[in-house]
Amino acid sequence: MSSWIAGLSWVTPLGSGVDSVWQRLLAGERPPLEKLQSEHNAASYLVHRVPDHATKNLPPHPRLRRASAISRFAAAAGLGAIADAEVAPNLERSALVFAISNGGVIYTRRFYSEIVKAGAQSASPLLFPETVFNAPASHLAAILGICGISYTVVGDGAVGVLALKLADDLLASGQVDTCLVVAAEEIDPLVCEAYRQWRLLRNSRSPENGRGMIVSEGAGAVLLSRNDSGCEVKKIDAGSNFFRRAEASAKLRRTLERLGLKGASFCIGSANGTFVGAAERRALGENVRAYYPKLALGDSIGASVLWQVIAAVQGLRTGRLPGSVEPVRGSGAIVLACGVNQQIGGLALCSDREKYRSALS
Amino acid sequence: MNPPPKIARRVAIVGAGVVSPLGFGLGETLQSLRKGTDCVTPVTAFSVDKTRCKTAGQISDSRLLEGMNRSRRDRRLHRASHMVIAALDEVWSQTDAFKPEIVIVGTTSGGMTFGERFYRTLGNGGCSAALIANYPPQKQIVDALEKFHIDAPVQVIANACASGTNAIGHAFSTIRAGQYQRVLAGGYDALSELVFVGFDSLQASTPEKCRPFDAKRSGMVLGEGAALLALEELESAQRRGAEILAEIVGYGISTDNHHLTQPNPDGSGPRRAMEQALAGADLTSGGIGYVNAHGTATVFNDAAEGKAIEQMFDDVPISSTKGMMGHSLGAAGAIEAIVSLLALQHQLLPPNINFRDRDPELRLNIIANQARQAEFDCVLSNSFGFGGTNASIVLRKM
Repeated sequence: MSSWIAGLSWVTPLGSGVDSVWQRLLAGERPPLEKLQSEHNAASYLVHRVPDHATKNLPPHPRLRRASAISRFAAAAGLGAIADAEVAPNLERSALVFAISNGGVIYTRRFYSEIVKAGAQSASPLLFPETVFNAPASHLAAILGICGISYTVVGDGAVGVLALKLADDLLASGQVDTCLVVAAEEIDPLVCEAYRQWRLLRNSRSPENGRGMIVSEGAGAVLLSRNDSGCEVKKIDAGSNFFRRAEASAKLRRTLERLGLKGASFCIGSANGTFVGAAERRALGENVRAYYPKLALGDSIGASVLWQVIAAVQGLRTGRLPGSVEPVRGSGAIVLACGVNQQIGGLALCSDREKYRSALS
Repeated sequence: MNPPPKIARRVAIVGAGVVSPLGFGLGETLQSLRKGTDCVTPVTAFSVDKTRCKTAGQISDSRLLEGMNRSRRDRRLHRASHMVIAALDEVWSQTDAFKPEIVIVGTTSGGMTFGERFYRTLGNGGCSAALIANYPPQKQIVDALEKFHIDAPVQVIANACASGTNAIGHAFSTIRAGQYQRVLAGGYDALSELVFVGFDSLQASTPEKCRPFDAKRSGMVLGEGAALLALEELESAQRRGAEILAEIVGYGISTDNHHLTQPNPDGSGPRRAMEQALAGADLTSGGIGYVNAHGTATVFNDAAEGKAIEQMFDDVPISSTKGMMGHSLGAAGAIEAIVSLLALQHQLLPPNINFRDRDPELRLNIIANQARQAEFDCVLSNSFGFGGTNASIVLRKM
């Protein structure tokens, strides 16, 4: 069984409107680079941050009063995807599936630093609950009034595929009619330092050098439905794990075979300036048209697959991809995800262009 | 709209493995349950000088590393990976022909202690890339799978303390709906300072004994461990002649939007999860012979859960086994699924230890302090967590 994409939304360093951000990407715009300074050493990190205006329309809610940035991004994206749907979902028959990698790292770092610097007796009970991986999902469920199924799925940069697969399985089993899949991340210097020490980060002194990733933040949300809505999720391959980086390319190729690369007009890849790019290029070969949104928006880790899905849908909808004037022909697209920490997966999308054209007009 | 599948397949447990403060493996766990052993001990992994609570259910490191080849790669693994390897080893000893199509597990903190060490070494150059690479919460299970040459996708559910039951319950739902035939499901969590201090800061953990459902209960103690179940569509398991340990017949999940850390005092969240699990199992409450309660021994949890059980069941024997082993968070639901499995297999009602005084607000049939024998066919196991997540599963004797 397949599911359909009924609504989309994202919160990115280029703003939050699906169409307006896409137009900026098509025009070749890049979000501004900010430099974060380490609290612990002389290191600095280049990042793409979400501008304040991207979440300015978020309605106030008691759950968001103390919540970290990640929960605000998630709420804005989740509400946006529901508002984007032509038919409002019946929330009693809806599930929430949340994808996350680093999670509420700002509060986690603050809480642990209180333990280390001032002692356990000084650690704030207000911070700890927000460190839990499912805190953003809990806030969003409370805002939306979802009282049934809510799952938070954790993993590396490919976690969005695993979350979409879980959502697709929920729809296929008939447990729900719609499923809101949300993924979000926030930036903290601690995460940047970890990626720097792992030698995955862009050197802050030579940003023009394409090697290494630029960490970004934000959220993506997709409302999946069992109703035909124009863009079909034909297949989700929850993939496999690569135990050594050298294995990544072969495993990506197997995922592409399972997804049916030949039927796709283009691929939205997850290249981010690290070994992932080379692995994907080897797997895709030279003749496949590909676009890599992480190279423009930065790598939002846990949120990135949802951005890729939105880019794929927009590519099918508008018939254009950033960086090329050549129109997209055909109605199929593949989203390929390779995280930096062992997980691989992907999905195949197929759109009914006529339905989209009428919706756009 | 695509119609949902109509045929509900039956789901068998064909393998089980566990490591927890109660012991390594099903045999030691059963012994501890029979004796009602208090396996909670003073914390040794980090300083507890400035916390109210000083104890936890812990797993011996030396025992955990017995049998490991101590290669450089093994030594870099997180303790939680070693726990998962121990549990997986036991599963494989029962059912080595089991090839999961997907692995669905729960955890709350993954490799958190590596994150703590990373933070503490910042600025002094003592950090290693292995700490960073092995910290993320999916790594502990993925590393364990590599040891057993299992190349299946891994879904890691982090629904706080309900994660383990959610993972098993979702795995059950996918097999029942015909999406998979074989799923490896369970949960893991290792004790960490951040989480220990976190519960202490909320005054959710106790400086005394953990006394679930007691009138003078004063909070939880933490625990750790890992447990895995090999789940298979019943006909497939029967065709290949697998030994069937029990059947999972129902799963319920609900979200309580009352508060991030506190359940709705009316017990409606747990009640909805239990009702769904019973409905899915096609059972009435009278069909349940034992309830393995979430029973953290916090004032709020036990009041809400107790109220829901009291409303739904008529004098069913219940116990929380967390007094014996502590609350292992993302692993708890999986370990307690194995406790429930052992209870069914051996017709044993595990004890609720450290119980002294009945709570006058709760009319519950607590299995106080000593295990009992009984005849029953079905067990219901509950797990609830931060974020308002509630999950219940029903197991049936084969």
